[in-house]
Amino acid sequence: MADSQNPQADVPSFTDVCDEWHKSLEKMQKFNELLTTNAQIAQTSKQLIWTLNKARLFRYVPVKPEKELHKIPLLLVFAIMNRPHVLDLRPGHSYVEYMLQHGYDVYLMDWGIPGPEDRDLKFEDYALEYLPRAIRKLKTVAEREQFSMLGWCLGALISTIYACLRPDDGLKNLVLLTAPLDFSDKSAGGFSRWASNPEFNADLVVDKLGNVPGEMIDTGAKMLKPVENFIGTYVNLWDNIDNSRFIQGWHAMNTWVRDIIPMAGAAYQQLINDFYKENRLIENSLVVGGEQVKLCNLKASVLNVIAEADHITPPCQSERVMDQLGSQDKEVFRVRGGHIGIMAGSGAEKNTWPHIEKWLADRSD
Amino acid sequence: MTQQQESQSPFDPAGMFKDFRDAGMDAWAKTMVQLVNTEAYAEATGAMLNAWLTGSGPFRQTVESSLSHVLSNLNLPTRDEITQLAQRLTHIEMRLDDIDAKIDDALRASPRTARSITPPAKKKK
Repeated sequence: MADSQNPQADVPSFTDVCDEWHKSLEKMQKFNELLTTNAQIAQTSKQLIWTLNKARLFRYVPVKPEKELHKIPLLLVFAIMNRPHVLDLRPGHSYVEYMLQHGYDVYLMDWGIPGPEDRDLKFEDYALEYLPRAIRKLKTVAEREQFSMLGWCLGALISTIYACLRPDDGLKNLVLLTAPLDFSDKSAGGFSRWASNPEFNADLVVDKLGNVPGEMIDTGAKMLKPVENFIGTYVNLWDNIDNSRFIQGWHAMNTWVRDIIPMAGAAYQQLINDFYKENRLIENSLVVGGEQVKLCNLKASVLNVIAEADHITPPCQSERVMDQLGSQDKEVFRVRGGHIGIMAGSGAEKNTWPHIEKWLADRSD
Repeated sequence: MTQQQESQSPFDPAGMFKDFRDAGMDAWAKTMVQLVNTEAYAEATGAMLNAWLTGSGPFRQTVESSLSHVLSNLNLPTRDEITQLAQRLTHIEMRLDDIDAKIDDALRASPRTARSITPPAKKKK
């Protein structure tokens, strides 16, 4: 009321205007810095124990005394077209850190960044050459014959192929995270629709480009939700730029998202043709390295974690596989969230991580 | 809405975007998701990609072949030659890994051998 009687009270003084502009400039500077700099991610101490070509196997330094460690070591296998740092995002919010604190002997398979010489790498190379060799080394270092494996996204696909073809290699527990395994519904999700369209020619892409550039994969993933990814995320950052907790998380995630890498050409070709277009894994017609992949051969205990709001791997691509698995002990765990959010989002520590940990703990001694 | 307008600074450069988002970003996002999930979009994207790859192919091929020619004349290895070399190195690495596996197996099978190849601790003078 007082203001309406005194119109001059609504007019900001020159000093107020200058202050506001100064604050806005500071915000812009901070905004720009967050967009163009890298946060410190993947900080947990680890030792390199094996290498082959670009692939590396790391062992995280256990934080519990040896007698308190679970007997079965855990191997983390991430996708081949992104860096695996999202599993160890930042101190205080890292899945690796969480599992170490719960007494696991944790190993990480880092596929590395493929060069032009790796354009012929296929899923059979990842699943039957690199992974078994890394697992052999893991078993030697851990002095254990059995191990657990957690595969995420295409890492889950590689893990499943390996588990089906090498069921007696010591794999005791398999955790599948947002695993793209069943492509029978061609209208489920943008990727499925785009890749199964006859116009989309993966052979031509690989023939002309060799490895598929990271920018192409990144743009494709972002185009699944264009407004959120190209605009929403930055507006959200601007709104919360004074919230230091939000900033830390956003900066770490953006650092990981910006670290794009190419995908080996032959593996991309196989992903589009054999999986997205022909759905060979579920049809039991997938032949890898001369061996037929049969899901009924998978014997390890399986925890299939499905993100209910996953736009990259829609739930239907993961859930129907359960009936075909040969495992006696299998469970589906549905989590609210998206493809990455269920493991790296703010709720992961309360929902996804404890469930996986509990499931593994019951089967790791 | 009035409260939002009151709390929002008139000098915030992103204010315009915020208003826009509050008014219809969700609807816009849903529309875009629906759009990119249509067959027409999939077909158009595929066709554009094919056109770009086919159109830029001859240019890329010309650049690569002339570059290879220049490198050969300068007695420098071409990209293909380095690629072949890298592939050979990977094969050698695999053979080394096989040997490493055999050594590990042998050490595990015979703990006495493992002890004998462990270097003895240096004696203090």
